[in-house]
Amino acid sequence: MQKSELDNANPTILSVSQLPSRRATGGTARHGPDSKYDYAALASLSSDTPSWHSDDDIDGDYGDAHDEIWEAPVDEQEIYDLISTISDPEHPNTLGELNVVRLPDIRVTPAGQRSNLTTVLVDLTPTVNHCSLATVIGLAVRWRLEQALPPSYRVDVRMKDGSHAQDDQVNKQLGDKERVAAALENDTLRNVVDKMLETCA
Amino acid sequence: MFSYDHKAGITASTKALVQLRAMKNFKPDMGVKVIEDMSKIKEDFRLQLAPTRLDMYELFLGLLEDESVRSELQHKYGSSCGFVVDLLQICQHERDPKNLLVWFEILVALVRSYDASAEVTEEIFKAFSAYFPISLRTSATPAGITAEDLKSALRNCFAAHGRLATLAFPFLMQKLDQGDAVTVSVKVDILKTIKACVEQYENPQVSVVPHIEKIWSSLKYEVRNGEVKETIDATLEVLRAIANKLDGTSTQKYEASMLKNYIELVFSDTREDLSNSTYTKQAGLLLMTVVTCNVRAYVLESSNLIECLRQNIRQPKSPSHTKDLVLLLNSVLRARMDLVKNRANFNPEDEKLLQAESHTSLETLFHDVYLPLWTKRVNDPRLEEVDVLKQVAQGFALIVRQQAVGPDGQVLLLSSVTVCSEICFLLTQSLTQCLALSSNDNVVRDAALEDEIVLAVRSVVMNYTDGYAEFANKARAEIRKRDWTVPSKHSLRALTDLIMRLAFIGCSEIPSSAALGIPSQKTFSPLQHFITLASTALELFDTLSLSVAARPGVSVKESQVNAYIMAALHAGILHFCDACTEKYKQESLASYSKSDRDWVEEFRHMPRDWLRQLQENNGKSDEALASVKEDDPEVYRQFLRLSLFIVRYLYLADSTGESPTPWSGQTRIQLANIAAFVVGSLDEGLQRSCKLASEAFNLFRVDKSPSTLSGPRDSRTEPLTLGILRGLWPGTMTEMYNPDGVAQTFMCDSADAGSLTARESQIRASIGLILANKYKGGASTSDPDGQVMGQVMDYWGKQLKVATASTDISSTKLEALIIHAMHIIAGATARQDKNVLGLVLVFQEAIASQNGGTVARSIGILVQSNDLLTSENHAVFRRFYKQWVYSNLAKPLYNLALPTENGSEAAIRYTAAILSIASNCPFIVYEDDLEPLIRLIITALVNRTSLSKDIARLQVVPALEILVEVLANNPDSLKGHLRAIVDSVTAIYKESFHEHRERSKHDSKPVGRASVLHIVMCRKLVLQLLAALPKKFEVRYLLPFGHVLRRTLWEACGDPIRELRETARLARKNWLKIE
Repeated sequence: MQKSELDNANPTILSVSQLPSRRATGGTARHGPDSKYDYAALASLSSDTPSWHSDDDIDGDYGDAHDEIWEAPVDEQEIYDLISTISDPEHPNTLGELNVVRLPDIRVTPAGQRSNLTTVLVDLTPTVNHCSLATVIGLAVRWRLEQALPPSYRVDVRMKDGSHAQDDQVNKQLGDKERVAAALENDTLRNVVDKMLETCA
Repeated sequence: MFSYDHKAGITASTKALVQLRAMKNFKPDMGVKVIEDMSKIKEDFRLQLAPTRLDMYELFLGLLEDESVRSELQHKYGSSCGFVVDLLQICQHERDPKNLLVWFEILVALVRSYDASAEVTEEIFKAFSAYFPISLRTSATPAGITAEDLKSALRNCFAAHGRLATLAFPFLMQKLDQGDAVTVSVKVDILKTIKACVEQYENPQVSVVPHIEKIWSSLKYEVRNGEVKETIDATLEVLRAIANKLDGTSTQKYEASMLKNYIELVFSDTREDLSNSTYTKQAGLLLMTVVTCNVRAYVLESSNLIECLRQNIRQPKSPSHTKDLVLLLNSVLRARMDLVKNRANFNPEDEKLLQAESHTSLETLFHDVYLPLWTKRVNDPRLEEVDVLKQVAQGFALIVRQQAVGPDGQVLLLSSVTVCSEICFLLTQSLTQCLALSSNDNVVRDAALEDEIVLAVRSVVMNYTDGYAEFANKARAEIRKRDWTVPSKHSLRALTDLIMRLAFIGCSEIPSSAALGIPSQKTFSPLQHFITLASTALELFDTLSLSVAARPGVSVKESQVNAYIMAALHAGILHFCDACTEKYKQESLASYSKSDRDWVEEFRHMPRDWLRQLQENNGKSDEALASVKEDDPEVYRQFLRLSLFIVRYLYLADSTGESPTPWSGQTRIQLANIAAFVVGSLDEGLQRSCKLASEAFNLFRVDKSPSTLSGPRDSRTEPLTLGILRGLWPGTMTEMYNPDGVAQTFMCDSADAGSLTARESQIRASIGLILANKYKGGASTSDPDGQVMGQVMDYWGKQLKVATASTDISSTKLEALIIHAMHIIAGATARQDKNVLGLVLVFQEAIASQNGGTVARSIGILVQSNDLLTSENHAVFRRFYKQWVYSNLAKPLYNLALPTENGSEAAIRYTAAILSIASNCPFIVYEDDLEPLIRLIITALVNRTSLSKDIARLQVVPALEILVEVLANNPDSLKGHLRAIVDSVTAIYKESFHEHRERSKHDSKPVGRASVLHIVMCRKLVLQLLAALPKKFEVRYLLPFGHVLRRTLWEACGDPIRELRETARLARKNWLKIE
């Protein structure tokens, strides 16, 4: 993929602090200079850090509340965390930083664990609407999700409506199982995708 | 020798001459002769070997530096210095680094000591400047000489004397202005050389001043358009060196006009750039460097600079421009603080300048610049404005910290009390307002900005000390305004933020007494903020308790807000302790935690609201507190005394029922943690003189009657007992161990087993553990025969026997009893108490018995890592006690665990016991028994389906834990068992996954926490194990399992628990490579 000219030479890049994360949305841990001794002073007050004296079981019951703390169905943020760390094929940035992957454009239906089949829908937004690498990016996202999600998940990766000049064609390619499989058998393409996935944990 | 080319003789004769020269009677005219004759060697000099040349150089140097030879030469040759020309001629092609160092020294001597004519000086200059910039090939490096040595030797030549100035500056400037052809390291070398010249040339009017304009016009672009940090720094160093040179030395000051002209030159070129947002930072850097480098420059020109910044802040180009300008203004203030602080090191004239300094431009900064910037943005900060606000917050703090030097040298705060108080109000306003917001308010709290404000408030109140009481009062009023009976998560979070910040701001530093100057400020005590925090917290504690008590129907569990207040107090104590360590260093604190006073007794005579009284009169009413000074480590001792008072106050509030509401368990545990820390910080002697050991059960109550122990025990206050016991030194506790005394009675008591809640029995077990651990018997103790622990062990041995043999004991009671026993024994085990060995057979029998499963599972407690057995809690533990337990308790069980003996049920329980112990030990402990251990593990895993669920459960988790350890430390030992391991762990995963699913489907079924933990733990360990396998074994060993495992792990990616999904993904990734 040695291209002499980049499709978009100067994309907008988000800083790490601007990316959506679980900590920013729902985390309870405090940060900052005054939180130095939270671990000691607040230890017995935080319910999710068990230690020898942490549980207030004056009533003696441990309730189902603990299952709620631990059980966490796959949600949009988790999908985002899986794919936002994929590298862009032409920039030294991740898809999250380039805003190609956006949290509001990810849907997990039905939400929760208990259904037999879950669909994950990801809409990608290429940095420019003539991006020639849109298909490769879509392929990498798809491949990553197929690797990371269990068999009962159906993955659907598309270009966001109107974000790409040929979104119909790209969507068709990405939606076609046979073509996706064939594409990944192509060594060159496979190498590019593997390279992109190197930055994923 | 030198005139005939007689090579063999040169070294010898040079060496001889060196000797001669060193003699007392060496005549100066002889020296002149030697130099002249040596110069006759001419062209042949180059042909000599390097060491020979070195000898000659050293001879030259010795002669030229000789004072009498010097005057003889000067007399003979005058300013034409003909010998110099000859010398330069013969030596001009030197390349050997070692020789060059001496040659450069010769040149320095020539320039410095011989008043040569301009022509000769130029010749000398040419001789060394030809080498500039010098470098060194690494291959040719002889030992000990670096490129840096050569550079600095050459630099000395340039800086040798002011008469070189007319040659050196133009030469160096020309080298610098070559543009891109110069590399960074060369550029830095040039800049350092210029700096050396500026610093070392004497008489700056003649040597430096004429070149300043040229230097400045070359250098300004290095900063304005420069990108490399090293060059920018080196350039600024040069500019600073010029300003300092023009100012004068610490003994002699030059005329002010030179410095003034220089700074004005810099001003005239950079003023414009300040209004251009691209160059603001660079221009500011240049101006800052010259204006703040010494007191005179600052006094002369700072008002200009501040005025300039002020004008630009009024007409900013963008938020980032404003931010840069405020940052600059802050840097000016910060630099001023440094100048005032270090004034003692400067010229006495500087002190006078500072005393006479006009403060008008500084005094108006707050109202003119910072305040409008703050009020305009603070209520609705947009993203890019937050950075401005952060800078303004820092600026606020800097304004308060500014000090003015009074006419008599006295230091005062520069800002007026009203300004300080207003700043304090503004900053704390944004910290307290979080309480007023509800979760529905759409106000975004920017954590980074709040952190900046917290730091700013801290430095404000460390100087303007009244500020802290204002803040504390405001926070208290805000908290009291709200209803805390059933607080939401959101308000608890806001409360936590506020009070933890209150604690941090007041206690993480020891306030400075420099603020003494403000007349309205009360007398200062370094502990006043700590006292304020404590009295505020205690008062809140009382009033909130009252308000909760006034609301019937609110359960104890809901009124947990007091636990948060307690947490803030705890954090405050920890912060203050850190601040003391920082200020007085650890070593001196040790001696200040001693005292022979009985503080507890003294507290009895103090009023209940002692702290509030102290707060009101700033510690004046207490003799010890009133006299303590900021720099005296006595602060630490007084801090400990106050902390102990707080502990006693709260203990009494709970134990005597002074508190209007019953406390929640959390609150009590918070308090116990504080007590453990405070008591633990006291020295052993002080603990003894305060009789703290007796307070462990008495809890500071006045009526010290023995009945508190023998009567029915109050399990509510036991956490408090635990708190004190944790902090006590073993040496303080000896009196508790009388035969049949307090400790023994407590340890040998199992009456309540089974009737307490899980937490109550855990607290009681922990107390037992500590008592058993800190036991000290033998001569000169209360237990001279050392019989107490023996009796305790006997007691529990009997209890174990009876309980395990009993058929009608309830499982809850059995479990409670055994866990209690194990904790007490664990305390003794950590000390390697010999009495424990007497229990070995008891354990074996107990495990074999009908009820032995619980014993087998719990026996691991003996070696489990325990928060209580740490040096912070002054616990006694031998380094190798885990080895000791393993070899005495686990090893003998291996034979018993073989299924052929004792029937298979007992064998399985023995296996469980071994696994329980081993899984709590580090790998190295059971390393020698790997083979039998792995066999046991495999058997346990493979046979688990044929066993009852409870028994299987006993074994699986510890077995998996050990496997993970073994895999990490000695994977080869598992090679032969891979099939069995993979098959069984996959099956375990599936069973546990299935069980979890089933449980989720019928969530009406009551679920025990332990069993949930167990199934999650199983899966976690299996996934860890599977993830590690591909990293530890070659592909050929793993190939047979690849297919199945990839499928299993794929499904595991859908585990209900997020953390496990992550491990599963990692494992799957690793196994995808096995193809």
